[in-house]
Amino acid sequence: MAGRDLGMSAAGGDGAVRVGPSVFVRLKLRLIAGNLRGSTQRLLGFVFTVIAAVVVASLGFLAMTMLRLAPADIATDVVIVLFTTFLVSWAIVPLLAFGLDDTLDPSRLSLFPLRTGQLAAGMFAASVTGVWPIATLIITAGAVAGLATGIGGVLLGVVAVLVQFALCIVTSRLVTTSLSGVLRTRRGRDVLAVSVIFFILAAQLPNLLLNGGLAGDLAGTLRGVASVLRWTPPGMAAHAIADGGAVAVAELAFLAVLTVVLGWLWIVALRRALVSTDASTEGASVRNSKGLLARVLPDGPLAAVATKELKYARRDPRGRVGWFAAVAVTGVMAFSLSRDGTGAGGVALAIAPACIGGVMIGLQSSNSFGIDGRSLWMNSVVYGTGRDWRTDLAGRHLAVMTIAAPLLAALSVVAALLAGNLVWAVPAALTAWGILGVGLGVGALTSVLLPYTVPERLNAFTGAAPGQGGVAFAASFGAMIGSSVLALPVALPVLLGLTWVSVLAVPYGLLISWGGRRIAGDLGFRRYPEILAGTSQPG
Amino acid sequence: MTDIADAVRTHQLFKRFGHQVAVGGVDLVVPRGSFAGLVGPNGAGKTTTLSMVTGLLRPDGGAVHIDGLDVWRDPLPVKGRIGVLPEGLRLFERLSGRELLSYNGQLRGIPRAEVEQRAEGLLKVMDLAESADKLVVDYSTGMRKKIGLAAALLHNPKVLFLDEPFEGVDPVSANTLVEVLQRYTASGSTVVFSSHVMELVERLCDWVSVMNRGQIVAQGPLDRVRAGRSLNEAFLGLVGVRGDGNGEEGLSWLGATSA
Repeated sequence: MAGRDLGMSAAGGDGAVRVGPSVFVRLKLRLIAGNLRGSTQRLLGFVFTVIAAVVVASLGFLAMTMLRLAPADIATDVVIVLFTTFLVSWAIVPLLAFGLDDTLDPSRLSLFPLRTGQLAAGMFAASVTGVWPIATLIITAGAVAGLATGIGGVLLGVVAVLVQFALCIVTSRLVTTSLSGVLRTRRGRDVLAVSVIFFILAAQLPNLLLNGGLAGDLAGTLRGVASVLRWTPPGMAAHAIADGGAVAVAELAFLAVLTVVLGWLWIVALRRALVSTDASTEGASVRNSKGLLARVLPDGPLAAVATKELKYARRDPRGRVGWFAAVAVTGVMAFSLSRDGTGAGGVALAIAPACIGGVMIGLQSSNSFGIDGRSLWMNSVVYGTGRDWRTDLAGRHLAVMTIAAPLLAALSVVAALLAGNLVWAVPAALTAWGILGVGLGVGALTSVLLPYTVPERLNAFTGAAPGQGGVAFAASFGAMIGSSVLALPVALPVLLGLTWVSVLAVPYGLLISWGGRRIAGDLGFRRYPEILAGTSQPG
Repeated sequence: MTDIADAVRTHQLFKRFGHQVAVGGVDLVVPRGSFAGLVGPNGAGKTTTLSMVTGLLRPDGGAVHIDGLDVWRDPLPVKGRIGVLPEGLRLFERLSGRELLSYNGQLRGIPRAEVEQRAEGLLKVMDLAESADKLVVDYSTGMRKKIGLAAALLHNPKVLFLDEPFEGVDPVSANTLVEVLQRYTASGSTVVFSSHVMELVERLCDWVSVMNRGQIVAQGPLDRVRAGRSLNEAFLGLVGVRGDGNGEEGLSWLGATSA
């Protein structure tokens, strides 16, 4: 039925319709519409996406137009950098979102009687359909308004914009298609999930560099970067718009050829992807070691949960991403903090990064059951009292502390060295441990009150299953506010210089985490069907 | 009053999702020691019922008793008595099969040495010994069902609930599952499982409950429910579908040579 609706019918049938790209465009639109049906939250999300795209497109177009006010060479340099950024983003972002869009995975279309060329044209059309591609096209088109001179310049500019746009799309297709085999394997997805974090970090890089004192010579940096990028394909497109002469014609001809070659490579990759087999399940064995905690702890649920959590922190990409993210964010913040330190320094400079680390790691526990998700039933069919849930939370906290305590200690030592006095590491570590305890206690409460699903298909754009963004936001924001407020009594005096207060931080943190577990255990027992439902959303 | 001879008894169990009533007043009865099949078409409410019976989904109304104990009022003694294999193979994916079993055993407070001994035996019987140290995420469907059943059996429960244990399982694994389950019921324990496969239910079960549209439409010993017909015929009759394959007119082109 779906086939007929879409105008696809088997070749040779009496009512056969030629399958053109428009079929794929309709398929894509239908997928978008179907995805929105029956869910107000998704609809709202889509509306926001559209609004965001419209805003970005108009502002982007406007900004491009404004380049006309800047000196011509600087304007060209800016467009060169922007075009390159677009191309790189188009190559990487869909990769990170792989599996979110059905039209991106050629294997889903392999059973339809379509020639590879038809399929390629169709998938090209489908990838152009969407709010972000159109926004990209509009912003790219702004370059014509911003750079082109004379009628010839405008004409060549339009061609350059279209070629640059096609180049973005074809490159993006080529990358996803040639990697689609890898992306369908479990290991490939695991690697990709962890690499998301590096992508996010890379996005922070310009920010850090600018903070790092390069801001003074912004124009010089731009010129340097642009002079290299000028010879990349997107750089040529940007240059062609500004040039508008014979050189531009040559550059565009080259780009057109390049786009066609990439398109041909894509078709080859597509042909191969359609007939290559799916992921192998020949998994390697894991070492059957008990681990340190299991040897120290008495037999029972506490040891079971703690060792399981430690294994998950290592084996589950979501666990790894969580820890990487906590450490990376702490690093970034500590780095910017130390750059800002213009006199407020001293002991606070050593203690603040460690405290931030404590908060960030504590935040990870604001949805303790999220990663267990659909497997959590296994625990809940065993636990018959609030005490059991308390023990479960204690096991999770123990695992977090096993990793976090040495990590925070190391962070404190580094921060203290950077601040100029190794002794400061002691109050820093003590305070950070205390703050972590507070974070765990508050996190226990948000874990049972605002549980949400951490999707197995991680992507860079959301940490929660569709429709649970609000809950996830409330949980992490609530945990952050709650633990910051509760941490103030010890953190503030220490930061202000009363370092002896840090002696109280660890007992205080232990007290708060114990209290949090105590309340959350009983609440969790009463609410466990809701926790199960909350953490088992299809994601 | 609950009859203590029944392993499972629900009273007017009720659950709705939004406007849709998933389970509308179910009185499920399973006598102790029986091998019971819960059959019904997709969407009949089998999974919802089993989830409520095993304490995984809170009912909107009604009561569930297992061995005379209220599942939702007195959960502690019930949880030690039941073993569960829910739908959809939801397992701890990043543990190995062996680790999954020992996790389960330790969670239930069974001494570690005992857990290891039982796990070893279960892995051998389930023919999983070679894959015991692979991660569950890399298991095939049949292997997952087997490791799930092993985990559910580890604490030697009195009543075992299995949601679609044979779905997507190859014949060899299915045979292993059947052998283990038959051995288990022979010792006087109770098995309740849901299935679409009538032949299997007919072969294994001595007690059948038929669900349709959130209701139990027939329940009792196998021979009484099928009343001389095959279970498949009886089932199609009960859920209101004629089994003679009418309504072919719309598909006249199918298999024709013209196209």
